[in-house]
Amino acid sequence: MLLSELSPGQRFLLFLGRNWVIFFLCFLCVLFSFTGAGFLSPKTLNNILITSSPALLLAAGETFVIIAGGIDLSVGFVRGLISVISAIIIRDLYAAGYSPYIAIFWGIVVGIGVGLLPGLVNGILVAKFRVPPFIATLGIYGVANGVALRLSQGFPITFLPPEVGEIGNGFVAYFLPGKGYSFFRRPAEILPEDMRNLIGIAPFAFLIALLFILIFAFILSRTVFGQHTYAVGGNIDAARRAGIPVDRHLIKVYTISSFFASLSGVLATLVFSIGAPTQFSSSLELFAVAAVVIGGASLMGGKGSMLGTFLGVLVLSVLEIGFLMSGILPFYRYVAVGVTLIAAVLIDQSFPELVYD
Amino acid sequence: MMSTSLSTRENKKWLYILGKNWTILFLLGEAIVFSWMGTGFFSIKNFQNILVASTTILLLAAGETFVIITGGIDLSVGFVMGLCCVISAKIMVTLQALGLSPVICIALGAGGTLLLGLLPGLVNGILVAKFRVPPFIATFGMYGIAYGVSEILCNSVPIAGLPALAGFIGNGYLLYYLPGRGFTWFSPPQGIARAEIRNLIPLFPNVFMLSLLAILIFAFILSRTVFGQHTYAVGGNIDAARRAGIPVDRHLIKVYMIASFFAAMGGVMYTLRFVTGRADAGAARMLDSIAAVVIGGASLYGGTGNIIGSLIGTLIIGVLETGMVNLGLPTHNKYVYVGVILILAVLIDQFFPEFVEKGGT
Amino acid sequence: MKKSFLTIFIVSLLVLVLVGGVLAQEKKPKIAYISGILDPFQVLIGEGIKDKAAELGMDVFIAEHPKAWGPEIQVPILEAVAARGDIDLIAIAPTSQEALIAPLKRIHDSGIEIITVDTYIGDGDYSKPSDWSFPLAYIGTDNFQGGVEVAHHLAEMIGKKGKVFVETTNPDVSSVVERVEGFKKGISEYPDIELVGVEYCLDVQEKAQQQVAAALQAHPDIVGIFGTNLYSAQGAYQAVANAGLAGVVKIAAWDATEDLIKALNEGQVDLVLAQKPYEIGTLAAEWAYKYLVEGQEVPKRIVPGFFFFTRDNVDDPEAQQYIYRMPQD
Repeated sequence: MLLSELSPGQRFLLFLGRNWVIFFLCFLCVLFSFTGAGFLSPKTLNNILITSSPALLLAAGETFVIIAGGIDLSVGFVRGLISVISAIIIRDLYAAGYSPYIAIFWGIVVGIGVGLLPGLVNGILVAKFRVPPFIATLGIYGVANGVALRLSQGFPITFLPPEVGEIGNGFVAYFLPGKGYSFFRRPAEILPEDMRNLIGIAPFAFLIALLFILIFAFILSRTVFGQHTYAVGGNIDAARRAGIPVDRHLIKVYTISSFFASLSGVLATLVFSIGAPTQFSSSLELFAVAAVVIGGASLMGGKGSMLGTFLGVLVLSVLEIGFLMSGILPFYRYVAVGVTLIAAVLIDQSFPELVYD
Repeated sequence: MMSTSLSTRENKKWLYILGKNWTILFLLGEAIVFSWMGTGFFSIKNFQNILVASTTILLLAAGETFVIITGGIDLSVGFVMGLCCVISAKIMVTLQALGLSPVICIALGAGGTLLLGLLPGLVNGILVAKFRVPPFIATFGMYGIAYGVSEILCNSVPIAGLPALAGFIGNGYLLYYLPGRGFTWFSPPQGIARAEIRNLIPLFPNVFMLSLLAILIFAFILSRTVFGQHTYAVGGNIDAARRAGIPVDRHLIKVYMIASFFAAMGGVMYTLRFVTGRADAGAARMLDSIAAVVIGGASLYGGTGNIIGSLIGTLIIGVLETGMVNLGLPTHNKYVYVGVILILAVLIDQFFPEFVEKGGT
Repeated sequence: MKKSFLTIFIVSLLVLVLVGGVLAQEKKPKIAYISGILDPFQVLIGEGIKDKAAELGMDVFIAEHPKAWGPEIQVPILEAVAARGDIDLIAIAPTSQEALIAPLKRIHDSGIEIITVDTYIGDGDYSKPSDWSFPLAYIGTDNFQGGVEVAHHLAEMIGKKGKVFVETTNPDVSSVVERVEGFKKGISEYPDIELVGVEYCLDVQEKAQQQVAAALQAHPDIVGIFGTNLYSAQGAYQAVANAGLAGVVKIAAWDATEDLIKALNEGQVDLVLAQKPYEIGTLAAEWAYKYLVEGQEVPKRIVPGFFFFTRDNVDDPEAQQYIYRMPQD
């Protein structure tokens, strides 16, 4: 069916249905600006962006895996593991006398390097040993958590150099209304009372996340690698017959997911100034999957996009912070997320890809 | 298989026996290792403790078994359990405040919860069967809703003030044996000196026995009734099942309601054991229950698995946990072990496909 | 055939167990310690118990420290420890006032004595007969009084006026609940100070950080924050530091971890209340010994004191002993 064959009314409905996430997001922002004091302010925006950055990364990695028809439940605990590893390295190098920036650099590099391993293992289990992704990643989830707890002895890793928190919570530019700009650092001569009015622009944490997301969004949508990912997810046998090296591709996809999880762990260390294993109650991996699905992906594979995932994460973050600022019990948020998720799938099902421009 | 010689068939027979029962052997091996290395591990009290401690996973796993056999999954069981825990506590507290006898409060609380607990399963089932929402999503959505509602119901504060009879039932045993004095039912013998108390041997924990009853009933249903056969059929090949005339949609709804029922039962048991209603009652155990089912031989693709297998899977995890505490080992390694066992389970089942039970004990 | 072999095997095991179950008892009294969560305060209580018990000639079993706060995690540990069969007394920091009553009672009924440390069950009064009066004693800081004094100190630091916020852990844990109640009472004496909120981070530091950050957002003119335990306080000062408000917002922290003392030194925290976990542990072991070996009666409530750190006394040599230093192992 072609777009031109639809009536204007039908076309509008289609537009609404296809892009419902954006409309929903706008609706939420309007709603919360009424119910929450100070919701619509730059500081809130920064809060949302900084808080969602680690989650954004998890969801980005998960996008690849889900499009390829699999699932990765280990991302939450891999993030905790790498947060611990990077924090330990930073702390020990700093204590040994190295400059904080060197310590941080190596912490990040080693953390991400080690973080590729779980993905590799996941990929091999799924591709070569045909272990169902749910199980393989569930097993690795346990292993990652165990190692994280062992390394940290259960305590958060503290005594990191203050530069860690500065980078994690820093901004590219600072603006003080009436007094001007400064870059990268807070204005030196600022008075304590003015601190509260200081507005940060472009949080580092978010920018770092955004950078990687854009790179991989490009890979997903415009390279052969991306096309192969959709193909494998859409119909794995057809992909194989078409000559795509499916096994190797799956391993790469799970490694990407793991890469993003470790990036998320490193970012978490920077934002919170501690390295900590992931708590059980956080269900980070489930929220990552939820974000991806709200963003339009299908668990069967073959559908989805980075942009959709990005919007999905924003919806979840806005829900969380909006509820917090409106003083509503945070638990209504869980209900809201649950309902949103189910609604997402129902809506996407009602608008199948029969229509194309 | 037809062309193998006699001797290799003999070897294959042993391998077959090993592979088919690796879970039981592993469980026994675990128990033996911990008994040998631990203190007081090998005792009636400790084994019963393991059973009681595993009750939550057991109940959740039993319900999950049905769902997984149909090729689906239910992620909401943990928080539906929490929701039911809160509901049962609330009912009991409210009835008690109205002046009803403790027995009525508890009976109505438990019964009412088990009925109400069917609702989430109904919703899950309808979403999956009628609206074709993938089970992962539908039940994850329900997870959020159940969690939210339960926290709202109890205002994030665990519910207190339940009748003491609840704790008595939840922590009591059917039978007590004091060497030299004989047996008593339902409560310890009167007037024991404090020094003698250590020799008292309690038998058959109430909570575990009640759960076992429910589980055995449903194990029977799964393996020996038409309903059970239909479950395997739907999981094996849903289209073939439909063509064979099985009312697949209605069946799926019933299966999710079974999972929900067991989650509700888990919630009631928790309330009885801890005399409180908490929204996070089942949170820590949810993924363990799925692991138990898979370790026990079920495949996530559906069509295989059974309750006894899930029981063994649960015990493997339970023995591991208790054993590690008994030995004073830090439990971070537990997650690693369970993760490894889980992957091994799948690998073994894959390499020996003919060993996997297809429906039946 | 295989099934009956298995049955015989299991039955013979059970027979062996029943027979072997009534064997020799330990000669030395043995006490076990079950903490509430893995954190320096709880670990130090264990150290106190361990050292004193060794001195008095008792055996000690330190159970693993739970990774998160809650009965669903603590009770399995509790029951597994009790089932060992060789424990005479359990010192435990109950993770819920309500949920631990039934399991602890069951263990008490099997012959094991109970002492609760840091937190209590029921209403903490074991002297009046009730469902929860079976423990020998409750040994813990006077949390209510501590909360009151923190309120007074904080009020002084903020000039007796302004908005304050409380970051705490759980609504059903006796220790922190009393601290918050005490704080509220202390603050009520200052008409110009307003308490704008109480948040629960469930003993997770990152959550505390996020909640405080959100609170600073919603109420930009907060001048004082009370973090009721180490994770709450650490998260709180991180959030304040990240907002660049260190020193502008005064922070009172409960529990003197090395992290918090360092923050006190650097001006990110302004008041630290040190409990005496090591002493709590020592007292627990001491009274356990007195009861088990000497048959003495144990007071139902034992209260070691606490110590305040400010920037003025943080380097005093006599004060150093109150910092929660972890054992090096």
